[in-house]
Formats: sequence, structure tokens, C-alpha cells
Amino acid sequence: MDSLSFWNRTLMEPMIIDIILVRESPNSSHTMLSNDVFTETVVERWIVQHESQSQRSTPPQTSDYKKTYKKSIILLRSVYSMLRLLPAYKAFRKKSSLKQSCNFDINYKVCSFSSPFSRDEEHSMKKYSFVPVEAQQGRLSVSVIYREDLSDFNLDAFVSCPLEIITDYVGSPLTDPMRAFSIRENHHSAPSRRHSWTSGGLHRDVSLLHNHNQPLSGSPPLYRSPYEYSHSPTDAYINKNQNQRLTSFQKTSSEDLLSPPLSSSPSPSPPTYFSGGNIQSRPVSIPHPMMSRSPKYLSPNLSDPSRHHSLPPLSPRNTKYDPSSHESSSGIRSMRNTPISLGQKVSRDAKEDSGRFSSLLSSSSSPRVGFSRSSSRLSFQDDFGDCDFSCPFIVDDVDPPDMQMSPNLDARNSSEVSSQTSSTAKKSQDAAVGALVHMLRTAPPLRQDSSCYNSSQSSKIEMEGEIGAASEFFNPRKTSDALEELKTYKEMKNLLLSKSNAHMAGKGKIEN
Amino acid sequence: MNCEVCQLKELDIEHFEIREVLRCILHTVLFHRALGLVRPKDIDLELFEITYVQCGDVELERKIDEKIDQFIDRVEKHPNKKNQICLSFYEVKNKQATWFTNKVERLYWEQWYINLNVAQHPKGISGKSYSSKVVVDPGAESRSARRAALETSLRDVLFQIIRFVNEKKDHIPPIPNLEGVSFPYEITISSSSDSAFGMDMLKRMLQTGHPTMLS
Repeated sequence: MDSLSFWNRTLMEPMIIDIILVRESPNSSHTMLSNDVFTETVVERWIVQHESQSQRSTPPQTSDYKKTYKKSIILLRSVYSMLRLLPAYKAFRKKSSLKQSCNFDINYKVCSFSSPFSRDEEHSMKKYSFVPVEAQQGRLSVSVIYREDLSDFNLDAFVSCPLEIITDYVGSPLTDPMRAFSIRENHHSAPSRRHSWTSGGLHRDVSLLHNHNQPLSGSPPLYRSPYEYSHSPTDAYINKNQNQRLTSFQKTSSEDLLSPPLSSSPSPSPPTYFSGGNIQSRPVSIPHPMMSRSPKYLSPNLSDPSRHHSLPPLSPRNTKYDPSSHESSSGIRSMRNTPISLGQKVSRDAKEDSGRFSSLLSSSSSPRVGFSRSSSRLSFQDDFGDCDFSCPFIVDDVDPPDMQMSPNLDARNSSEVSSQTSSTAKKSQDAAVGALVHMLRTAPPLRQDSSCYNSSQSSKIEMEGEIGAASEFFNPRKTSDALEELKTYKEMKNLLLSKSNAHMAGKGKIEN
Repeated sequence: MNCEVCQLKELDIEHFEIREVLRCILHTVLFHRALGLVRPKDIDLELFEITYVQCGDVELERKIDEKIDQFIDRVEKHPNKKNQICLSFYEVKNKQATWFTNKVERLYWEQWYINLNVAQHPKGISGKSYSSKVVVDPGAESRSARRAALETSLRDVLFQIIRFVNEKKDHIPPIPNLEGVSFPYEITISSSSDSAFGMDMLKRMLQTGHPTMLS
């Protein structure tokens, strides 16, 4: 739209808006993007013109203005409706739904003059002129020349995703524990239309998936149909890419990742994702909490945008039921990880862990509800078995040297934290992390109390820690990033400490 | 004031398509006649690749849905007739009360006739396929061809509406109400009985003080 602001012609010149379809030349479809030759085709040309007329003899009446206004309203409504009827709108919707897997693009150009169409082009185009609106100084005319048939462009074939089998699909939307999370996570990746999904219409969406071939008379319609097409290849493509990224972080033999249907990376909107024909109800494999343990783990870089696309979202346990408190839940969870960031052993008592935290953090916000639910969700996930994947918690960004600086911590706590760190790192998303960081930064300063810290740590021995060993998962991360996040997590830790102080002090002393 | 009449192209539709098609057409017409403040809402049809625009008026949606329900009931009761929905816009004129009429008179200035030919079998063509005991594929192919033809026809109807709306503007009275649908309107349903098809419309036009659909 910037070009419109620079279009400052006089009223005498028409404003010509060309809607251009940009696509790769057919013979270069297999080359790298930078070497492609793009062909541009004008699919619509809108001409808006004010035709001046000599001043009318009669002075303008108020009723004349009213009539002009009324007719202008109708003209605007017509243009608005017509835009959605023209063939290029389908291409626009396909582009919006496919996003990055789409090999064509739609641009526009605003100018005062344009090259006329060739004879062949004219034959393939139709023209419609809206009835001009008479005004006092002249009349405003709008017309459109549009290409009626876009089948020559074979837009349906522009989806560049080969059919893939998703070997580690998370699960059907009905049972996918991360479903609620995706509602939050995809708000910034999906276009505005997407959102029968994001607006919470998930159940309806799923029901549409299953009733896809049945006539539906509900209103409002779900935006994802029928413009969303090629679901299968698109979904498979996205999954393949995301899984590849994930496995690059995994040194273990885990193959069953909690694949990120909820990643906000270049995926189409979740409805597209879940409505694809290749959606399997294959349960996700829950990472084994007893994965390799190592004091080293790289934390998720909370501020690294590159991770945004590579890590799955936060733990479904955090986000399953309460989208509104997702961020606070995830924040709480990462805060929880902070005080136990120095463990070596991984424990699997997720339920108790969640329970403890829910009580621990009840004073902070609504995450208590999320936690209590998430514990049940965690057990549900456990049922899927096969825990090669680290637990989807926000992990501490604990630098190995820093870890060793806390000799008071129990070894088991350290393992818990390490496992938590790794899995959380996998799962952290920038949005959730950003909110978490913000929350922590705005938290009141806390009192450092190492004794209380110890007590709270020991009391959390039984906390769940199905996060696998994380260090090797995060090798690509830099120490400086880890240090930064360590500071953040220390703040979280301190906040936790202050909250758990009174609660845990008695218990902790006994166990200490 | 003359009454502009627009006879929209007749559509052959299945029973299950009635709701979507009618919603699309009625909302499109009303969107062009609700000249006050509206919040346009793009609605995708589920059965076709068509997007139409609603006014974003909840009350309007409710009224239209009610009328569509009535139409569907009518179709089920009179299955073998062509059915027509008439969307009329009128002006309310206060007339001197005489001894036999009420004060209020309606002057219709625009009428839209939506002509629908609902297929005989409420379940659609699939009924025939089952009875013939052949592979359903031929039925499916014809169904998809019919669906594509209907989509094209529906698109033509929408173009027709836009053309009519653009070409005929002078007959529109001053806007009485800027909220929602600016003009009072009425939706009536009729079936093509043998002789009374057009007479129904005339009768309604002549009626005064009709209590329905004063928006």
C-alpha cells in the first residue's frame, strides 16, 4: 500500500491499479529461486477516473450531494462485492492459505498509465464498467478489465510439496493435546481468515473435517473451505521440514518427536494442517524422561528468531485447556524449571510436579488451573508411550559452568532440570517466551535466599522431569545466549523462591 | 415512483443447497441496499468456491434464516413446483385514513425475484443411483458437473445483482435509516401454482398495513 501514498497525480489522470500474478517460468520450475525467471501477468486492471465536466449552471443543492453520496455508497459496495467474484480472488485465497508453499505471488502496481494489452490478452479478458457516479465537478468512473480464466496458469499445481508420509504425526485434532496450544501459537502466523481455528472453533473445524463431504448449512462458513486445497501435500511438507529440523537437534535415537503441528513457522494455518488427508491418528511418542543425562544443555534461545521455526511449541500440558493463560502457564513452568536447573536425574512424576506448582504459583495468576489440568494431560501423553523425546517443558538456559556453581543442589534435582531444560528448549516458542520474559521482568525484585532455595529444591525431588537429557540437543546454541537466558531464569527462580518460601520451608528443612 | 423489478436467473438446486444459495443471494442484495454503516463480513460458501459479503448485522441474519426456514418448509410441502422468493423494498407512506384503509401504505420501489427450481428428490441425484444398482461413480460425476454448473450460475446471478444495482440507482428513495438495512424490506415466498403466481405478488403490493417485516 505504500505505492498508493506516492501516487499523487492530479484528478485529471486516471489511477490504474494492476493486479499482477507472478509465477516462475515453467521451464525453470526446478531451479533455485534466485535463478528463476518470473513471468508477470496482469490478471486484473482497475481504472479509476474522474472525468471533469464543466461547471453546472444550477448551483448545487443539498439533495444533489445526498444523491451523489448515496450512489457512491452503492458503487463502493459493488466494487467490494465484485472484488470477491473475480477469478483473481481465488488465486489470492489460495495464496493466503498456502503461504510459503505457494510458488506464485500476487502483486499490485499503481500508476497513471499502463501498457495496453496485447491482442491475445484482450481476447482473454473481460471488461466491466461500473456506472459512473455523477458529482458536481464531474463524474467518477470505475472499470475493471479482468482475466476470466486463470486455469492456464495452473495455479493448483503451484504447491511445491511432494506427498510425504508423516511418520511421527502428533495425532488427530480430537486427541491432540497440543491443540489448544496451537490456537495461541498460530495467531501470528496465520492470516486473519484462518480462524475458525484460532477463534476457538476447533471443534467445529474438526467436525467439518469429518463431515467434509456432507452438505453443511451452518453459518458462518468455515473459512478454510473450499479454498484450502492440497492439504495433504502441504501438511506433509510442513511436517517433513519441521521434523527434519527437530531431528537435527536430537542426538538420541528418538524418532517419535512431538512433531510440531503447532509451530508457527512456515506452516499453513492449523485448519489446513488438520484437515489434510494425511492426518493420521497416530499417537505421538512421548519422550522418555530417562534419556541421556548430561549437565550440559543448551537452553532455548528465547530471543533467537531462528529457533522460532525449529522448535516445537511449548508443552501441551501448559496450554491444553486455557489458551488465555497459556503464556502465563508457560512462564510459570519455566520459572519452575529455574530452581531445579541443576539436576542430573530425571524423574517422571509429572503429576506431582504440576500439582506442586499449581499450589506454588496459585498466587501469581490463573495458571493453577492450567497446571492441574496439564498434569492429567501429561499422564495422557505418557500413555502414548515411548519416551524418547524430551519433555516439552521450557528448559532453563543453564550454562554448564553455572550449574556447577550450585553445589547445594541435590543431584536428582539437577537431572530433573536438565531434562526439563532440554525438552523445554525444544518446545519453547518465541511468543510464549517473550511473554514469560516480560512477566519476569516486571515482577517485583525478590530476595535471594539460598537456604530457602535448597529447601524448595529438595522438596521438588519428585517433580516430574520427563525431559530427556538436553545438552546435546542444543549444541548449536551459543554460550552467550545461554548466559542471557540464565539471567532470566535466575529471576524466575527468585520469584519462585519468594512464593514458595513459606510453603516449602518446613518441608525442605526436613529433607535437607 | 416506479418499481424496478429484477428477475434473477433461475437456478436448479438440490434441497441441501437451498440454504447456502439463498443466503448468498439475499445477503448480496441486502448488502447493496444497506447504505448505512455496515461491517462487511466475507462469507465463504461451503459448497462452492464463492465468497459473498454480509452486512454484519445479526438481526438481519436471523431474519433471513427464518425466511429460509420457511422457504424450505414450503418446498417440502410443495415439492414439484418452482419456488420463488421475492425481496421487496418499499417506502412507508402515511396516508389519510379513510373508512376502509389504514393509515400506512407501502410503496414498493424495488423487487427482486429469486427463482429456484428445487430438485425433486430431496436427497439429490443419489436416490436414482441407488435404485439403478450401478456403480455410484456415474452419479458422482454428474453431481460434480451439476455442482460446477450451479456454481457458474450462482456466480452469474451475483454478477446480475451487481449489474442491476449499478444500473438502477435513480429510483432509490432517500435513505430513511442509516442503521442496518436502510430501507424497509419484505421477503415473501411463493410457489408457481397454476395461475396465481403473479397474482400473489400483485396482491401483496396492493395490501396495506401488512404487519410483516417492518424493519
